[in-house]
Amino acid sequence: MKKIHLRDKQKNILFCVLGILIACIFLFPLYWIIVNSFKLDSEIFASVPTLWPHELTFTAYKDQLANLGTTMKNSIIIAVGSMIISLCLSVPAAYGLARYKVKGMKVFIMVFLVTQMLPASLVLTPLFLIFSKAHLLNSYLAPILSTATISIPFIVLMLRPSFLNMPRELEDAAKIDGCNAVSAFFRVAIPISKPTVITAACFSFVYAWNDLAYSMTFNTKDAMRPMTAAIYTFMNQYGTKWNSIMAYGVLLILPSCIIFVTMQKHIVEGMTSGSVKG
Amino acid sequence: MKTKSREQRERMLGYFFILPAVIYMLVFIGYPIVYNWIISFQDVTATTLASSARDFVGFDNYKAVFADSTFQKALLHTFIYTVGCLVIQFSLGFLFAMFFAKKFTVSKPIRGFIVISWMLPVTVTALVFKFMFAEGNGIINTILMNLHIIKEPIGWLLNGSTAMWGLIIANSWVGIPFNMLLLTTGLNNIPADVYEAASIDGASGLQKFRKITLPLLKPTIMSVLILGFVLTFKVFDLVYVMTGGGPVDATEVLSTYSYKLSFQLFHFGEGSAVANVLFVCLFIVALIYLKTISKDEVI
Repeated sequence: MKKIHLRDKQKNILFCVLGILIACIFLFPLYWIIVNSFKLDSEIFASVPTLWPHELTFTAYKDQLANLGTTMKNSIIIAVGSMIISLCLSVPAAYGLARYKVKGMKVFIMVFLVTQMLPASLVLTPLFLIFSKAHLLNSYLAPILSTATISIPFIVLMLRPSFLNMPRELEDAAKIDGCNAVSAFFRVAIPISKPTVITAACFSFVYAWNDLAYSMTFNTKDAMRPMTAAIYTFMNQYGTKWNSIMAYGVLLILPSCIIFVTMQKHIVEGMTSGSVKG
Repeated sequence: MKTKSREQRERMLGYFFILPAVIYMLVFIGYPIVYNWIISFQDVTATTLASSARDFVGFDNYKAVFADSTFQKALLHTFIYTVGCLVIQFSLGFLFAMFFAKKFTVSKPIRGFIVISWMLPVTVTALVFKFMFAEGNGIINTILMNLHIIKEPIGWLLNGSTAMWGLIIANSWVGIPFNMLLLTTGLNNIPADVYEAASIDGASGLQKFRKITLPLLKPTIMSVLILGFVLTFKVFDLVYVMTGGGPVDATEVLSTYSYKLSFQLFHFGEGSAVANVLFVCLFIVALIYLKTISKDEVI
């Protein structure tokens, strides 16, 4: 690698320009959602699309914010509920798999590896029948319980290595000071791995927030649907009101974007360890 | 004596931490999968949905599904879609990984930032690509016409022959950074002194790539491809929102077809039969994956 190591400025500048160009082309769809949400309908339908809004308008946002109340509330309840369940189950599991030698450990890890690969569409029909029998359709519980299954295996696999890398001595010291295993977990292990646990929380929130399949299938009533299902319905009803759809889209991607921008480093690290390693 | 009881206590504690999550996954994923097999052998329609005594119909659902031309198309489309996505995603992801592995001022921030597409709700990704692929004045048609690549606007998602391309491109937008990221990790794990030694021996850039990078990256490449296959093969949201399986059934895939059978036609039995075909395909690949990673002793 040394030979290619960029010693001269010119090469560095060339690569920077190229890199920025790639980024601009690649991120264009994101830019396109945002600019079009600020355009008037007439501008969107001009025969030649404009690269930036010639007339800045917030009408689409005003329209959307007016009827956003319920669906946004639903999205938040589902995402937060799913996050809580998922954290309560997966953080201890990751810790247990890192710290304790239990029989069948390989099997447990296998359960998480395999379930992580199985998609929603596989269990939609049976879960629908199960939830309908349990009278859970059109409730918050149905999407909360089902979306938690997306993040639990991911978080277990993502957190286990970080617990493995944590020095054991700290917990041992705490135990000598009178902590039992459970309080050592809460008072020592969690505070030390706080950044990773927060990343895990972000992932579980985003996974539930982004879900369409489960929420749309189990909650058929408009009043119980989250924003993802609502934007889809909205598109089918008002397929040509692109500025409104894009404005709604911007509001929908906002939490993911904020989380991503503030915690980028941790998210990128978490993504790699959560999806490949065991 | 004392050590044994301590060992036992340790083990109990381990279970106390681990089991709740395992049980949860077994209840909400494991049991439904088993239940799905049962449903697929039953006559489950909107009328028999509530009753607990449903008729077992043997392989009728599977026979009906396999005789169905839409199912055959859906199966084929799923493979075309997956292979198409994998080729684009992997090759561009690889190029990106190699490019951003070079150390220039903005390499790391850009590499980190383009991963954002992976975090966005697929619903929104699907909508924006649908918008960009629009026939009338979609930006993609406008650009292609300005570059004189096409003469007339193409209804990308309205033609059976081009709709699949729209889906593949939209999905690749999400998949490229993911592939790039995993491959970057693999590239970083290759020790720099191997390259240095090769340079001293006078190896050219291409030789180093073929003799060092590729062989050492092979385990990573394998897991990226298999993981990519699983993640792509199970596509639902993207197809459902962008094309809904249309035009006619030109982009129908297994998951959307299963959904249609179950929740639009209320043939739950057939819907779960299709889902089981999807399951079998994924399960085989998942097994291959588990075998490769246990060979690498990642667990």
